[in-house]
Amino acid sequence: MSKFKIVLAVTTTAAALVFTVGAQAWEPTKPIKIVVGFAPGGGADLVARNLVASSQEFFPVPLVVVNKAGASGALAADFVKNEKADGLTLLVAGGSESTAVPNFQKVTYSLDDFRGVMRLIRQRVFLISKAGSGINSIADLKAKALANPGKLSYGSSGQGSIYHAVMLVTTKALGIEMQHVPYKGGAPMMAALLGGHIDITMGAPEETSAQLDSGQAIPIALPSETRYAAYKNAPTLMELGYNVYIENQKGLFAPAGTPNEAVQYLHDNFKKGMDSATWKAMANKLSMETAYLNGDDFMAGVKAMSKAIGEAAAGLAK
Amino acid sequence: MDMFLNAIVTVFEPLNIAILLASTAVGIVIGAIPGLTVTMAIALAVPLTITMPLTPSLLMLLGLYGAGIYGGSISAVLINTPGTPASAATSIDGYELAKQGKALKALKMALIASFYGGLFSIVLLIVIAPQLAAFALKFGPAEICSLLVFALTIVAVLSGDTIIKGLLAAAIGMLLATVGADPMLSVPRFTFGVYDLYDGLAYIPLLIGLFAIAEMLAQAEDSFTTGAKLIDIKDIDKDANRLTRDDWRRSFGPMIRSGFLGSFVGMLPGLGAAIATFLGYAEAKRASKEPERFGRGAIEGVAASESANNAVTGSAMIPMLALAIPGDPPTAILLGALLIQGVTTGPLIFINHPDVVYTVYVALFASLVFMGIVGWLALKPIVQVLKVPKVLLYPVILAMCAAGSYAIRNSIFDVFVMVGAGLLGYVLRLFGVPAAPLLIAFILCPPLEESMRQALIKSQGSLMTFLTHPISAFFLLLALIAVIFTVRRQIKSHQALPANI
Repeated sequence: MSKFKIVLAVTTTAAALVFTVGAQAWEPTKPIKIVVGFAPGGGADLVARNLVASSQEFFPVPLVVVNKAGASGALAADFVKNEKADGLTLLVAGGSESTAVPNFQKVTYSLDDFRGVMRLIRQRVFLISKAGSGINSIADLKAKALANPGKLSYGSSGQGSIYHAVMLVTTKALGIEMQHVPYKGGAPMMAALLGGHIDITMGAPEETSAQLDSGQAIPIALPSETRYAAYKNAPTLMELGYNVYIENQKGLFAPAGTPNEAVQYLHDNFKKGMDSATWKAMANKLSMETAYLNGDDFMAGVKAMSKAIGEAAAGLAK
Repeated sequence: MDMFLNAIVTVFEPLNIAILLASTAVGIVIGAIPGLTVTMAIALAVPLTITMPLTPSLLMLLGLYGAGIYGGSISAVLINTPGTPASAATSIDGYELAKQGKALKALKMALIASFYGGLFSIVLLIVIAPQLAAFALKFGPAEICSLLVFALTIVAVLSGDTIIKGLLAAAIGMLLATVGADPMLSVPRFTFGVYDLYDGLAYIPLLIGLFAIAEMLAQAEDSFTTGAKLIDIKDIDKDANRLTRDDWRRSFGPMIRSGFLGSFVGMLPGLGAAIATFLGYAEAKRASKEPERFGRGAIEGVAASESANNAVTGSAMIPMLALAIPGDPPTAILLGALLIQGVTTGPLIFINHPDVVYTVYVALFASLVFMGIVGWLALKPIVQVLKVPKVLLYPVILAMCAAGSYAIRNSIFDVFVMVGAGLLGYVLRLFGVPAAPLLIAFILCPPLEESMRQALIKSQGSLMTFLTHPISAFFLLLALIAVIFTVRRQIKSHQALPANI
C-alpha cells in the first residue's frame, strides 16, 4: 500500500467518524451569521462583537457579525425570519424591533416567527429630568403635569421606540398627559433636556452617566424590578406603586423552525463564551449589564413587555 | 502645564507617531474613495481600539476623522465625485479647475483650507469650549428650524444661471427626502411596502449616483460622439498650478468666514459637515464681487468649502467634550470609543480627566499637522490619476462606487438607488439642471421637517413660536434678506440682458 493510499484511508475513516458524530449531535458546518439590525459601533453591535470575540474558540466554524441596519431593527428581523431555520442565522433581538415597533407599525414578522436562544444583557431605562427644573421625583412630575395638563413634554427616540413606549406606559399609570416630542436618538434628546426644550428625557446609564454624574440631570425613576447599582437613589416605578416594567434587552433569536438540538448547541457554546474572562472584561469596559436568561424565559419576557406596550399604545395610529 | 507637556511627550512616542501616520494615510484614501465614508472608517476602527491604551486609540480615530474629511476633496477635484458628502461643494469649482489643467492648484488650496479650518476650530475648542457648548444648547427646535430655512436660501446661490432650474432641482431633492418613515411618527411615506425604503433613500448612493455615475455617463457619451477628451498631461504644468498672489487674495476672506461658519454648524447637534460646506460655499459666492466666477473654476470656492468642512471636525468635539453630546455621527462614535477607554466626557472631564482633555487637544493638533504633511507629499502622485485614460479609470471607479454603496448597509437595494440616481443626474444634466440644489435640499429637509414639527408640538401649533424666539427670528430675517437680495439681482440681470443683445 502506497503512502498516499494510507493517508487516503485514514482521512476517509476520520471523515466518516466525524460525519456519524455530526448526525447524532448537531454541529454547524458553515459560518454562523449573527445579524444586527443597527449600525456598527452601536449598542446592539457591540454586544454581538463581544459575543463573537469571547465565543469563537468554542465553535468549529467562523462567527460572522452582519449589520443590516434600518427601520429600527425591523429590516434585520424580517431578513432573519426569511432565512433557513438551520441554526446558522441568528438575530440580536430583544430591543425596539421585538417589543415596541410591532405595536406601532405594520411589520412583516411577529415574535412567533422566532424562538429565543438566550438573553445576553439588559439595559436599564431611566426617566431623567434637568437639575433645577423643579422635577426631582415622580411625585413632582405628577403634580406639575396635573397642574399644567398637556404642557409638559418628554423626548423619545421616535414614535414606537422603546423610550416612547416607556413614557406611554408610565403616563398612563400616573394618569397624566404629556406632549411627546420625538428626536433622532439619545444625544439630541439630552441636548434638548439640558437646553430646557423638553422636561423629561430617557436614557441608558452608560449613555447618560456624564450628565447624571455631573449633577446637570437627575435620574428620577426607572421601570425595572430592582434598583440600579450605580444610581441607587432612583426608585423603581414598581416601588412607587406603578406597575411599569420595560427594559432594553439584547439576546439571540433564531428562526422559529430551528431544531432543538441546534438551539441547544448554540445556547451551550455561547454560554461558555459568556462565562469567559474575555466577555466579562469587555462587558465591564463597555458598561454592559450581563443578564443571562435561557431562550424560553427570554422569549417569555420579551412577549410580556410587548403586550404591555401594545396595551398602552392601543388607540394610537398604527 | 505639566499635563500638557506630558500629553505632547506621549503623543510623540515613536509607536504613536507610526499609528498616527498610518491612520492619516488610510483616512485620506478612504475619504478619497467614493462610498467609503469617514463615519464608516471610524466605526470599523473602534473595535481595534478596545485593547489599545488611550493615546494611540485617540490618535487613530482622530487621524482618520480629519484626514478622511480632507480626502473627500481629492476625488471631488479629480473625478467630479465627492469622496464624502462633506466635499460635495468642493467638486463644483474643483473639478472645473481640474478640467482647466489646474488640479494640483485646486488640491493645494483644498489642503491649505482644510488645514486652516481644522486649526481654527481646534483653537476655538481649546479656548472657549464650555461657553460655546452652553450657547449651542440654546438652539432648540425653533432655532434649528429657522437656521435651516436660512440655509435653504443657498439653493438660489447654487442654482447657477437660472433660478427656476435650481428650484426645480431643490423640489426633486425635497420630494426624494420625504421617502421613508416620517421623522416624527414613523408613518411610512412613498415606501410602497418596501422595507429597504423605510429609512429613506440612503444619502451616499444618491450622492455617488448624482455626481459620479452621471459624470461617467456624460463622459461615455462624449467619447462615443466626439472622441475621448483626455485632460492633457502637459496641462498639469507648474505655472498654472502655482498658487498666485491673486488666488490668495480671493481665497483669504472666504476661508476665514468658512472657518467661523463650519465651526458654528459643527457644534450644533445633528447638522454635520455636509451642511457646513454648502453654507460656506454659498456664503463665499454671495459675498463675492464676481459671483459669476463660481461654478467655472473659482479657487475661492474650493477654499470656502474645504475650510468649512474641516472646521466641523474640531467644533463637533465641543459639545462632545463639554456636554457629552456629539455634534455629528463620527463624534458620536468617538464618544463611544472614549467610553470604552473608561473616559466619560461631559462637564466633569475637565476636572476628573484633564489629562484626557489635553491628550485630545494634542492629538487633534498632531493629526492636523500629519494631514498637512501626508497630504502635501501625496499631492503630486495623486494628480497622476488624471493620466490614466478614462476608459480604464472609470470602470475601476464604478466598481468602487457600487461596492461603497453596497457597504453602507450591506444592501443591494442601495446599489440600485445609486444607478437610479445616476440616470436622474444624467437626465438633469441634459436639461442643464444643476445637481447641487437637489443634494442640499435632500440633506436639509429631514432635519428641517423634524425641527419644525418639534417646535410646533411645543407651541401647540402656533407659528408665532418662530418669531418669539429671538435667535429664530434673527435667522428668519437673514433668510428674508437673502431672498430679497436674490430677487433684486435676478431683476437686474434681466434688465441687463436686452442691453447686451
